[in-house]
Amino acid sequence: MKIGILDYNVNNTHSVFSAVFNLGYDPILITSANEIKNVDKLIIPGIGNAFNSIKILKKKRYLDEIYEFTNFSRPILGICLGLQIFCKNLLEGGISYGIGFIDADVIKIEESNYFNIGWNKVIIENNSFFQNKEPKEKDYYFCHSYKLKFNSEHEKKYCYGYSTNKNIPSVIVKNNFLGCQFHPEKSQKEGNSLIKMFLEKY
Amino acid sequence: MSYIRIIPSLLLKNNKLVKGKNFKNHKNAGHPKTTINSLSYQGADEISILNIDDNLKLNDQINLQSIESFSANSTVPLTFGGGINDIETATSIIKSGFEKIYISRGIFKNKNLIKNLVNNFGGQSIVGGINILKQNHKYIILNSKEENQDIINFIKFLEKQGLGEIKITFVDREGSKSGLDLDFCKLILKNTSLPCIFEGGIGNLNQIKDAIEIGVKAIGLGTLITYGDYNIIKIKSYLKNYNFNVRL
Repeated sequence: MKIGILDYNVNNTHSVFSAVFNLGYDPILITSANEIKNVDKLIIPGIGNAFNSIKILKKKRYLDEIYEFTNFSRPILGICLGLQIFCKNLLEGGISYGIGFIDADVIKIEESNYFNIGWNKVIIENNSFFQNKEPKEKDYYFCHSYKLKFNSEHEKKYCYGYSTNKNIPSVIVKNNFLGCQFHPEKSQKEGNSLIKMFLEKY
Repeated sequence: MSYIRIIPSLLLKNNKLVKGKNFKNHKNAGHPKTTINSLSYQGADEISILNIDDNLKLNDQINLQSIESFSANSTVPLTFGGGINDIETATSIIKSGFEKIYISRGIFKNKNLIKNLVNNFGGQSIVGGINILKQNHKYIILNSKEENQDIINFIKFLEKQGLGEIKITFVDREGSKSGLDLDFCKLILKNTSLPCIFEGGIGNLNQIKDAIEIGVKAIGLGTLITYGDYNIIKIKSYLKNYNFNVRL
């Protein structure tokens, strides 16, 4: 199985790489758009300003290829901004347009200068993607000031877990897409188990 | 509610860890890779690494490889600071697997640096460092070109630049074991909604408790971790006994 990690220049790429590598896999770094279709599973890390990152993703022709990847129902793990780019309108740093795979916009957590930096408890409401084996409350590391806002009640069913702090949509499961607002690559045991689950069973 | 954050703060010089007092007299304090590894296993909430080596070229391939080995050995988020004065260097650091960048002296060197970093990496990944020195009952911001710079105005300036976090270091208390300057912490907490990390002076567990009781939510630890016989598990167990919200 070929696992690709998308390198789009503004990310903690090596953290994600190490997390996957330490689980016994041999991931490759994707540095050009045509490599995307050659992998079986894609991981999109996320640290960055949304406006700037979407600009880079478009310039490198990554966005179209990622869209194709979801169309073929191949598994994707999107982390933080790597989740947010699958939404429609992203407001950070000016309005930019994401892939639109999730019917949600990405807005400020609070109107004021609110940053959610640190460990939060996440309540997993739908534990099916963990095969119901794991505890329903987990601690994950968050580092963001923008969050998903679903555009319809229907779309909310893809949200499998919310954080107890500010009720932030934290785990999104839609078809073969798994998105998390937190950083599993830096969330110790529980983060590791999420990545492992994505690599083994998804 | 978020957890209280306990953040070991490591100083890097010549690829070794060091620890000093009042920003001087640095002594060897171990190997970075193994220390980062053990601190993250003990359950540190984040780890902060400050490079105080003026000769370290952060764009140097060899140095980047050594920095990558830090993130490969950490299961918790890492912050890197020291010597970051432009976007290129910041990009190499983030790509090496760091989640946050700490800027202190750079704020004064280049007024647009914070804003440029925020536009590239988002405010959540930029920590503004303010080094505070208390002299003759007055608080001075280290490296500031303006004399008598008002600290609250300075924080408002940083907030406007869009950064996501502030770290206050009490320089004259570093290594002194005399505890944080709690009155000053209160003043800062009252005047900003940004997450704040406080560091400098913690020498025992009681002082950590005192700080949390006045509302401090993130504490940087240097001496206590480096030289004391405390470890993260011991510190957090102590805090848990007082019913503080720590991740254990």
